[in-house]
Amino acid sequence: MNIIRSFLLYFLLTTQVQANTIYNLIKIPNLEIYETNSKNKLRYLYAKQPFTIGVNNNINCYNSNKKDLDDKYKIIKKNLDRYNQKFLKKINLKYIVLCEDLSISKINTAGIPDHIMKTLILDIKFNQNYFERVIHHEVFHIINDNYKNLFDEKIWSDFNTKEFKYAKCSTCTDKLGLDTYTNTKGFFTEYSRSTASEDMAEVFSHLMIGVNLENIDPILKKKIQFIVINLQKIDKNFIL
Amino acid sequence: MIKKIKATKSEKIIFGFLISLAIFFFGSYFLIKDKCFFVKNYDPRKISFDNPQNIVILNVSCGNVIIELYPDISPNAVKRFKTLVTSEAYDDVAFHRVIKGVLVQAGDLEFGKKNNLNYGKIGNGKSGLGTINSEVDYPFNFNKGSVGLARTHKYNTEDSQFFIILRDEPLYETEYTPIGRVIYGLKALEKIKYLDKSQYVLRPDFINSLRMLVN
Repeated sequence: MNIIRSFLLYFLLTTQVQANTIYNLIKIPNLEIYETNSKNKLRYLYAKQPFTIGVNNNINCYNSNKKDLDDKYKIIKKNLDRYNQKFLKKINLKYIVLCEDLSISKINTAGIPDHIMKTLILDIKFNQNYFERVIHHEVFHIINDNYKNLFDEKIWSDFNTKEFKYAKCSTCTDKLGLDTYTNTKGFFTEYSRSTASEDMAEVFSHLMIGVNLENIDPILKKKIQFIVINLQKIDKNFIL
Repeated sequence: MIKKIKATKSEKIIFGFLISLAIFFFGSYFLIKDKCFFVKNYDPRKISFDNPQNIVILNVSCGNVIIELYPDISPNAVKRFKTLVTSEAYDDVAFHRVIKGVLVQAGDLEFGKKNNLNYGKIGNGKSGLGTINSEVDYPFNFNKGSVGLARTHKYNTEDSQFFIILRDEPLYETEYTPIGRVIYGLKALEKIKYLDKSQYVLRPDFINSLRMLVN
C-alpha cells in the first residue's frame, strides 16, 4: 500500500522551491552552510554566489573557490576558537560569512560586523600579512557595538595627547596603514589614528595576536589596561 | 438491413485510452480533493509511551500529531507550553505562518483565534503570561519534527507561539528554544494550508485541539 501511495504522490504532487533558512535568519542571500560543528557553536557559512545587501545595496561580496575557502577556514577557525561559546553569546556573535572582495560603498574592507544579526562577514582574500589580526579586529567591533557604554570613546580619546584628534570616520581619512609601529607613541598602527573605535579594535587585535609589550609607551599602556579591564567586565574569565 | 461495423484496431486503442484518461481524471480529482487521503491518523490510546506525562496530542484537520515534550532540556519553556495546553488556550488557533516543507507555526493567542482573527497583527500576539527566557544552551539536534518556541529577533522574548519543523534545520540549535519532538503524525502537518508566495497564510488552517495525554 505504501508503495502505491508513494507512486501516486510522486506523480500527483508537484514540488516547490523551499524557503532559505539562512536568509530568514541573517538576511543575507546566496549562502550555504560550510561548517556548524564548531565547539564554540559558531556557524560558518560561505557565499555560493555573489551577494549584495545593505540599505542602499552598498555591501557586496563574491563567492570563492573551494580551495581558498578550505585554506582560509582553517586559519579563521583557529583564531575564532579562542572565543568560547559563553563569551560569543555575550557579544552576540554566531554566524561567520566567508566570501571575497568584500566592499562597502565600493571601498574594500576586511570585515563587516553586524551584532544585531549576530553576523560577521569576512573577506578571505584580505591582505594576507594582517589576515589573522584583522579577524580579531572585526570581532572587537562586535564587542564594542554590544557594549558601547563600557568602551566610552570620550574616555578613550582623553588617553591621547591634547593636540591629537581622530577623524570623523574610518573612511574619511587616508590613515589606513596596518603595519605595526616600532615606535608606538600611543598607537599600534597608522589605522589606529583614524577613529577611537578603530584604535580600540587595533589595540584589542594586537593583544589577541600577542605583541611585545616591553617597549610600549605610557599612552598605549593606559589603552591596553582600559581594554583589559572592560573585557573582564563582560566576562571575567576572558583570556587575551 | 444494417451492417455491423467492426472497430478497427486503432479505434479500439483510442477508445481504451479515453476510458483510462477518464478513470485517471476522476480518480485524481477525488484523491487530490481529499488532502488527508494519504495521511495516517494515530490513536494515542493504542500507543504506549515511556513518559505519558510529557505527551501532548495536537489535533489538526488531517488527524493527530503526537508530540513528546522535553522538560529536562527546556524546563521553563515546557512548563509554559503545558500551562497553555492545560488551559486549552491553543484550541482554534491558526497556523498563521507556514512554509511548505520547512515549518508550520501557530500559537498567537491574541490575534490568531478563529473567532478573532486579525490578519494585520497576527504573529505579534501575546498570551498575557509575559515572555520567558530563551533556553538555548543545551545541545539539541533540530531535526525534522522538532518543536520549538518562536520569538522576536531578540532572545528572551518567547511566549506562546511555537513552530514545528518539517525538515532538518541544524542552524536552529542555540537559536531557538526546543520544547519537544513529533513522534507520530508529522504527515498531518505537511498538509497544513500554505501559500506559495507568502509565509503568512490567508484563511489559514486551525488547531482543532491541543491536549496533554495525561491530565
